[in-house]
Amino acid sequence: MSMEVIKHDIVIIGAGLAGLRAAIAAAEKSREVSIALISKTYPIRCHSVCAEGGTAAVLREDEGDSFDLHAWDTIKGADFLADQDAVEFFVREIPKEILRLDNWGCPWSRREDGRIAQRAFGGQSFNRTVFAADRTGFHEVHTLYERSLMYPNIVRYDEYFVTNLFIEDNAVKGVSAIQLKTGDLVFFNAKAVILATGGAGRLYGFTTYSHQVTGDGLAIAYRAGVPLKDMEFVQFHPTGLIPSGILMTEACRGEGGYLRNRDGERFMARYAPERMELAPRDVVARAMWTEIIEGRGFEGPYGPYIALDLTHLGEEKIEERLPLIRDAARKFAGIDPVEEPIPVKPVAHYTMGGVHTNMWTETPVRGLYAAGEVAAVSIHGANRLGSNSTAECLVFGRVAGEKAVEYVTGKSFAEITKEEMLAEEKRLFDEILGKSGDENPYEIKKELNETMDKHFWIFKTGEEMKEGVKKIQELKRKYENIEIVDKKKGFNTDLMQAMEIGFMLDLAEVVAVGAYTRTESRGAHYRLDYPKRDDENWLKHTLAYYTPEGPKLDYIPVTITRWQPVERKY
Amino acid sequence: MEMRRVSGWFTLKGKSINSIAYSFHRLTGMVLLLYLIAHLSFLTSLRIGEETYTAFISTTVRPETLPLDSLLFLATFYHAFNGLRVVLNEFGLLYEVRKALIYVMTLLALIFWLYSTYMMYVFVTGW
Amino acid sequence: MEREVLFRIRRFDGEKEYWQDFRFTARKGMTVLEGLYFIKESLDGSLAFRASCRMGVCGSCAVKVNGKPRLACETQIFDVGDVLEIEPLDNMPVLKDLVVDMDGFFRKHEAVKPYLIRKDDDYKNPKELLQTPKELHAYYDFSLCIKCGACYSACPASATRSDYLGPAAITAAYRFCMDSRDEGKEERLGLVSGSDGVWRCHFNAECSEVCPKSVEPAKAMQKMRLMSAIHMIKSIFR
Ligand SMILES: Cc1cc2nc3c(=O)[nH]c(=O)nc-3n(C[C@H](O)[C@H](O)[C@H](O)COP(=O)(O)OP(=O)(O)OC[C@H]3O[C@@H](n4cnc5c(N)ncnc54)[C@H](O)[C@@H]3O)c2cc1C
Ligand code: HEM
Ligand code: SF4
Ligand code: FES
Repeated sequence: MSMEVIKHDIVIIGAGLAGLRAAIAAAEKSREVSIALISKTYPIRCHSVCAEGGTAAVLREDEGDSFDLHAWDTIKGADFLADQDAVEFFVREIPKEILRLDNWGCPWSRREDGRIAQRAFGGQSFNRTVFAADRTGFHEVHTLYERSLMYPNIVRYDEYFVTNLFIEDNAVKGVSAIQLKTGDLVFFNAKAVILATGGAGRLYGFTTYSHQVTGDGLAIAYRAGVPLKDMEFVQFHPTGLIPSGILMTEACRGEGGYLRNRDGERFMARYAPERMELAPRDVVARAMWTEIIEGRGFEGPYGPYIALDLTHLGEEKIEERLPLIRDAARKFAGIDPVEEPIPVKPVAHYTMGGVHTNMWTETPVRGLYAAGEVAAVSIHGANRLGSNSTAECLVFGRVAGEKAVEYVTGKSFAEITKEEMLAEEKRLFDEILGKSGDENPYEIKKELNETMDKHFWIFKTGEEMKEGVKKIQELKRKYENIEIVDKKKGFNTDLMQAMEIGFMLDLAEVVAVGAYTRTESRGAHYRLDYPKRDDENWLKHTLAYYTPEGPKLDYIPVTITRWQPVERKY
Repeated sequence: MEMRRVSGWFTLKGKSINSIAYSFHRLTGMVLLLYLIAHLSFLTSLRIGEETYTAFISTTVRPETLPLDSLLFLATFYHAFNGLRVVLNEFGLLYEVRKALIYVMTLLALIFWLYSTYMMYVFVTGW
Repeated sequence: MEREVLFRIRRFDGEKEYWQDFRFTARKGMTVLEGLYFIKESLDGSLAFRASCRMGVCGSCAVKVNGKPRLACETQIFDVGDVLEIEPLDNMPVLKDLVVDMDGFFRKHEAVKPYLIRKDDDYKNPKELLQTPKELHAYYDFSLCIKCGACYSACPASATRSDYLGPAAITAAYRFCMDSRDEGKEERLGLVSGSDGVWRCHFNAECSEVCPKSVEPAKAMQKMRLMSAIHMIKSIFR
């Protein structure tokens, strides 16, 4: 077995929006530092390309928008669990990022006069969502990727699967990865590491996420002793296409689409009379689920659903503003939204929680940064507003890249020891790949998905969650006994996916225990047995630390600067 | 640079009419090239002497070889018309109707071919 | 509605190549990708293929289905039939089963400088550039390429010349040349006018036929040729 050690000042894990932005920021800050950009997929195959609706930014103060308004929308949307200093910083930085993307070639949709166009989005009280048709994430990723090609000090390692993080004296010193093509284990020695591996959406079965979003970075950091923050907050998007879960972007409603129950009623009038369909996601998702539970959903071959009605928008507008939605509805559900309403129901969509960082993307471990969906900075609190997440990736990706350069300047490398390398090799190839057992890892994944869909869905109860936690722990035990069929080295996706399932099991437990312990309802976390927000006891962030017996929870206060919590009405 | 799969020129499984036209063009191009070589060698034989040439010609220009001549004309017309199409398209013209153009050109080739075959028939049989 | 289907998959384990048959019951609406996942998760875990978004935007999952390169995630099984012959893409080395080595393909894309080139590029102080919807439409469709490699697999010019840039890369070059914000046209034209560039194209046009995003690479190629011809003539007189 060859064991290669590659040295780079900065190693970035993940080449989605956050990772690419971090790489460019680092390269702009210094042409001298060497930057490794590692990802398990080619960069333009990352999950960020799926983002459809847009990116929020205050561009038109002259037309009535303001930073305070964006901050307030974000904080209220977050049900006051967001750190307000981070939010204020965030809203001020994002407009520049939009313009940078413009200067780098992003095909933003335009107004007639050639200026960048903006659309309405849920929970945003001004039309401030910048977009590129309904392929915003796709164009953003491609633009960043293409731009990154200009910097010779960004060295890419495409299709390298990161397996572990090496930390000594609370400072990071490198990572290990399997080069998929050869199957070789490679070590990256680094002075700083930026985690940008995205969320953990595949914990759920009915989800909008790409197959590769398995929370690897979260689990790797967690196992290495870095705390995870607010993991119990999982967002459900109101409109997932049935049966695949493919996202029907919020822009459908932003452009004027309606939600209807089987009586043809625009039921949102009863739940959020002011904002109607454009209330924040948690509110709309709960409303839809209530309609379904109370028997006012449509009946379909895949269970009850709600109708997303775009027919009144007309073909021209749909073609111009929502071409991907039309294409997807046709291809994956056989429905043309110009003619018929689209069958949808709420779907798991976003991991608000993440690796614990401060507003400068620094984790408690020196030299380790986290940005993008993997991090909880936290600006999303208990519920993220649509189009704030791609924005987060851009702003905090940049911050992470710059901070990492500042940190590595003048620092020296701490070597990964021979013992550490051998131990990792043994763990991967003897203990995981070499093991023989009788469990099929994919069966375990299926059961995990079912458990999450059932016990940790939109409406939760303590009773159900307790059962769910037990079930997850049982699955973890089963996982000890899996067998990987493919024993060959080159491009062993069987090994990779089995490891991803292992990561997901750990994360599911954190989500489950966190949710069970939080005895209140806030944002996306809604308990039927505790239906009220409880600021007295629970206006605080959860931190989960790894122990072999399961997560150990701790709590830290939320930063509140100018906006005191009030009741959240839409 | 290494030569990879020449068979890629003629693989038609799962391909559209465009590829069929392309492969056929390549094929006919090669046939024409072979013919040209043969034709030039025949002409070169004139230098050896008139008899050699006549001997050659008499073995090839006969009613029995008429079908071959006819096929050659088919190849020529197809190649010529399709070549015209390629030239047009490669100037970025008529891209949107490129498939229709294939049919039109092939039809033209067929018409010319039928007419020429008829003429040859008349000529060879001395009708 | 359910029906038994046969997936005949061309496999390669790093040493030998062979065909393997998998039979299972597919339901209406099931995609080829879901079929592949079913096989991997229930019948044979060693089957290797790439996939991520399962909604036709990431470009991972292109394979040949009955000879034609397509996105597995966008192709319904029943639309193809009861017997599906599934192979890796052509013109790229096979790494394992349906996974081909796309490094070379991406290097070619990089080689055409597929990014906006501007003299006044100012990282610290970006400013809003104007672009009317009309100017946007001049290149927009060509910016939809997901780099799936389907066109490259179908291209007979790529089949015989491994150094040929291929349809996707040249389309990327064209997309930027047509962007009203760009100033790098001449530079890029120099890159695509060489012996590995636009003149290798024979207008087989199969690339446009198989492109799952209707990017029309064959069109971009011919437009690029015209630009390249003008560029070359101009450069003679310089
Ligand atoms: C369908 C959908 C639509 C969305 N629409 C919007 C929207 O309109 N607006 C908005 O603001 N937000 C939207 N979001 C959210 C937003 O897209 C994501 O939060 C964001 O793209 C995350 O980006 P990221 O860079 O953090 O991670 P990702 O894009 O997920 O990238 C993760 C990277 O990490 C790599 N990686 C992961 N694990 C490993 C490993 N073990 N080893 C090596 N590399 C690894 C991957 O290869 C990848 O490159 C949407 C989300 C979904 C699901
Ligand atoms: C009116 C007459 C002709 C026209 C319009 C014509 C046109 C063309 C064109 C446009 C091509 C390029 C096709 C491509 O890009 O793939 C071509 C290729 C070719 N031609 Fe012709 N041609 C003609 C006559 C001939 C003749 C007489 C010969 C015989 C020597 C010939 C032999 C070939 C060959 C061998 C090729 C290469 C095959 C290929 O590239 O596919 N052509 N022709
Ligand atoms: S041009 Fe079309 S076929 Fe070719 S790589 Fe791009 S999307 Fe795929
Ligand atoms: S899986 Fe992304 S394009 Fe098919």
